[in-house]
Amino acid sequence: MTTRKYLTAAVVIAVLGVAHVFAWGTTEVSPAALVDGWRGMARFLAEALPPDLDWDTVVQPGLEGCLTTLAIGLLGTTLSIPAALLFAVMGTRGRNRIVYQLSRSVMSFLRAVPDVVFALVFVTAVGLGPFAGVLALICHNVGVMGKLWSEAMDEIDPGPADALRVSGAREAQVVANAVLPAVVPALVGLLLYRFDVNVRSSLVLGLVGAGGVGFLINQSIQLFQFDQMATYILMVLVLIVAVDLLSAAVRRRLG
Amino acid sequence: MKGLRKSFGDRTVLNGVDFEVRAGELVVLLGANGSGKSTALRCVVGLAEADAGEITVHSGRAAMVFQQIHLVRRRNVIDNVCAGGLAGLPLSRSLTPALFPRDLREKAMACLDRVGLADRARDRAGSLSGGQQQRVAVARALCQGAEVLLADEPVSALDPAAATQVMELLVELAHRDGLAVAAVLHQPDLARRHADRVIGLLHGEIRLTTAAAELSDVDIDALYAPDRVPA
Repeated sequence: MTTRKYLTAAVVIAVLGVAHVFAWGTTEVSPAALVDGWRGMARFLAEALPPDLDWDTVVQPGLEGCLTTLAIGLLGTTLSIPAALLFAVMGTRGRNRIVYQLSRSVMSFLRAVPDVVFALVFVTAVGLGPFAGVLALICHNVGVMGKLWSEAMDEIDPGPADALRVSGAREAQVVANAVLPAVVPALVGLLLYRFDVNVRSSLVLGLVGAGGVGFLINQSIQLFQFDQMATYILMVLVLIVAVDLLSAAVRRRLG
Repeated sequence: MKGLRKSFGDRTVLNGVDFEVRAGELVVLLGANGSGKSTALRCVVGLAEADAGEITVHSGRAAMVFQQIHLVRRRNVIDNVCAGGLAGLPLSRSLTPALFPRDLREKAMACLDRVGLADRARDRAGSLSGGQQQRVAVARALCQGAEVLLADEPVSALDPAAATQVMELLVELAHRDGLAVAAVLHQPDLARRHADRVIGLLHGEIRLTTAAAELSDVDIDALYAPDRVPA
């Protein structure tokens, strides 16, 4: 028995070893290149510092870009609520098997396709700009938030609902007075968490042409304006930290 | 309750259980884990369905309180108590506490006063201690207006002082208010101190029925460790 255990362990280690050697080769990992390239990185950093703080050409467009990014994240989150709620309710346990499987598969598909891919598709449909970003976020977010919501609904304690059923309450009364009070705070908390994530995603979407401050970062890199890029990245840092603190504070109050 | 039978798969949990709880009486069901006590209560309120047998509640529906209390912790105490009276409300007045009618609120307040917690009406249910929450759950059951109160291990999660308080409340509800109270307990001492009658279940059958004062240690051993007692 122990011999077999050792044998299994040896096989697992060997397979993992081979996989890593293969991965090392495929990704062309080369510590030497990293060491040789330190000069390039140093130059990059030297050019990025100090950040360019010119109001008209950099700071003002940057702030407008941040607002656009925030707006994409906001609409991408709120406009996905109806569909996410629908799929979440259909995807809770105890439903008809076909409805359950169907909604779970739709949500899995939407989750599996990255928002960047959706963005590229929508850019070809509606052109470059923030609207493509909003559409991309909606699609991806319905999959993720729907899944999170249906899990939250599955997890609530059935006890309070049972207690009301025992007293003779009808199903709608049970839902309104036991199920919803238990589940709504969790749903709102997850919604805020997704808003937080979506604002960050909308930055990446900007890189592929969906507007906002991400687009400005991409542009400044392509024009070798690294000092402008530094300003934008600092702004992004402030934006992300602000959104994160806000959603964390609201979630704490809900909890 | 007559000839109650219940099986889960091939495991028989209740094998022909008959008992009766009269108004004004506190009956305690004792027995080891898996002896069928909780299942018997759950059959009475419809949370489990009996395979055979007959259950009669002479005054309509029975109310029930649970070990895990099952209050909506985020709502305040009075709204939780009101929820016990939902069955009598039209849908339009019952979908959110703001719509609960005044007479239900007054009735709930009286129930809350009965369990000694009227001063906590506006507090969040989750902010109360375990013993207080269980008394709120009793108030919710009272607000249902039932004359039969079932309690499934109502004090198992409580400290001794809180447990005594809840048991004394159940005794009062039986003796002073004339309710029929049946409680599943795990502590033979509490049964001895508070119950009028004790029913002991073993492997889904009634092994003993006795006045609480006459419950002996041998009886208790027979319920919890039947292997050690000569038949």
